[in-house]
Amino acid sequence: MAELTLDSVTKVFNEGGSDEIVAVDDVTMGIEDGEFLVLVGPSGCGKSTTLRMIAGLETVTDGEIRLGGRAINDTAPADRDIAMVFQSYALYPHMTVRENMSFGLEESTEMPDDEIRSTVEDAASMMGIEELLDRKPSELSGGQQQRVALGRAIVRDPAAFLMDEPLSNLDAKLRATMRTELQRIQDDLGVTTVYVTHDQTEAMTMGDRIAVLDDGVLQQVGTPLECYHTPNNRFVAGFIGEPSMNFFPTTREGDALENERFTYPLPDDVRETLGDATNVTLGVRPEDVAFAAESEASAEHDFECVVDVVEPVGESNNVYLRFADAPDGETFIATISGMRTVSSGDRVVATIPPDAIHLFDDRTGEALKNRSLDDVDGVDPT
Amino acid sequence: MSTSEGGAGLKRTALYVVLVGMAGFYLLPILTGLFTSITSPASYTGQAPFLPPLSPLLPETGSFSLQSWGNAFDGLARGLANSFILVIPATILSGLFGSMAAYGLTNVDWRGQVGIYALFVAGIFIPYQAVLVPLTQFWYNVVPLQSLFAPFAALPLVQEYHWKLVALIVTHTAYGIPICTLLFRAHYKKLSTEMIEAARLDGASVSTIYRRIVLPLSVPMFAVVFIYQFTQIWNDLLFALTIVQFGDASVVTQELVGIGVSQSGTNFPLRMAAALLAALPTLVVYVLFGDKFAEGVTT
Repeated sequence: MAELTLDSVTKVFNEGGSDEIVAVDDVTMGIEDGEFLVLVGPSGCGKSTTLRMIAGLETVTDGEIRLGGRAINDTAPADRDIAMVFQSYALYPHMTVRENMSFGLEESTEMPDDEIRSTVEDAASMMGIEELLDRKPSELSGGQQQRVALGRAIVRDPAAFLMDEPLSNLDAKLRATMRTELQRIQDDLGVTTVYVTHDQTEAMTMGDRIAVLDDGVLQQVGTPLECYHTPNNRFVAGFIGEPSMNFFPTTREGDALENERFTYPLPDDVRETLGDATNVTLGVRPEDVAFAAESEASAEHDFECVVDVVEPVGESNNVYLRFADAPDGETFIATISGMRTVSSGDRVVATIPPDAIHLFDDRTGEALKNRSLDDVDGVDPT
Repeated sequence: MSTSEGGAGLKRTALYVVLVGMAGFYLLPILTGLFTSITSPASYTGQAPFLPPLSPLLPETGSFSLQSWGNAFDGLARGLANSFILVIPATILSGLFGSMAAYGLTNVDWRGQVGIYALFVAGIFIPYQAVLVPLTQFWYNVVPLQSLFAPFAALPLVQEYHWKLVALIVTHTAYGIPICTLLFRAHYKKLSTEMIEAARLDGASVSTIYRRIVLPLSVPMFAVVFIYQFTQIWNDLLFALTIVQFGDASVVTQELVGIGVSQSGTNFPLRMAAALLAALPTLVVYVLFGDKFAEGVTT
């Protein structure tokens, strides 16, 4: 149980060579004792490399990693008091479940055999795998193997858990079950956990806080709702949220934002936040796009659209809309109630309310304005 | 329809003809040897060698007798014993060292390991003929193995001349390590890196990972290496002739050279029986471990 600090951590592969790669670039963040932090980002963003540096499986090119205040850059992986769960479970195929779970205790502690046995049995009952203790990994299903991998980590009673996409190899239903179970276990044990995933749904549902990485650079660290409602930049806005935010490239013309398909007038207070930016991306989340009751656009933020494709999800419908003069395929998404029926080819009026828009500077990607939360009840991102 | 069926039938016939022909081609020498070995030496005529000895039914074939097998066993007994003393340790040692070398070169990361591995691979291609003279020099003039071994001769079952077999064991182990390393490396490359990393995180040292994880997982490959090395070392004549030379320490391949040949002529039934007897152990090893061999080579 300890806090984990990454201080300007950098990892460069093939340093000085022609194929030099900066996998992790100056990442600084603090993970509190007992916190569940999710490292999320697209493939190749450096999240696994960061995790492996914390584990000690990769060396740190620059910067410092501290666990419980102690720098662990030069400590051997086995001495760092951490336990790791791998994506492929990495179980020892020739050993039984019991032996798999005892291995770490046998090799890195002086625990007597009977104590090892009882510790293993306790962890096994916590994971619900007591009847599997004498089986070999090849005799287990994917979900059971995953529990064994988790049990193997729990048994070590480490200062921190590191998990590298442990749920990716499970089918969707099992993944959903294991998500809740993992959270419950982490809550019960209260161990600091760093969890790596590329799935933003896992990040949103599991993390106390999430850290978004892109191309080795830390984009934002915050609670899931903070990242959702107040993203730092365009990348975080587009990555978090499923279906993802709609983006419209616009140019500022006087009081409004001009786009090939529409003109969007800006209220005064919003215009001020733009500063001197001219090329601005307008972002709006699908659930904020509403359908107006009238069949013709009357208000200044109403736009006439044609329905392209409807994706029924059950409790909602993802409606792909096209501006009347836009070619096929150039669509944006509106999420509406599942009870409303819309069909492909229908003409509708879509409203993009000005208090729900996000504005991003095209030059830097930075968020100039995020949606206002004043009128929304009970949403407190902090 | 009928033409393709007829065509298929013709193809099938042709296939079987070829297969039977090939089988016959390969089996004929062994069959000839077998039939010759069960012919009594006195009645052996050397004619119609691929027919069983069925005289008086077939007058040219000679009469049945298992006498040669008994004589062969007597003649080869010491050679067989020496061969076993040679092969078992040499196979086990070369396999073990090859496995350790492959592990160190594949599953452990260190600088320059690819270069060292290249040296091992180069070792496979050393022609034995090129090193014969240096080897003799080494064992007879450079290393005083004979005198070093002398005190061991006091142990039960150990003879003084066994020092030559020790020299041969060491030689075969050394020259067997490159190919064993190659075979194991192919297998170890397929081991999950994450599993080895998990073991590192669990606190296992490099040697513990070898002993508790890699070695138990190498059993199929050990079967392959065992069969291969057993056959290679058992059948070797070159190193045996050079290092052991004819005498008390002769192995079975050496004994085969002269058995049944004397001034009064060649005793073919005896020679055939001896050859088949000498080949028996490798055949037994293959029968016992053969399916593991097929498994290990194809994975």
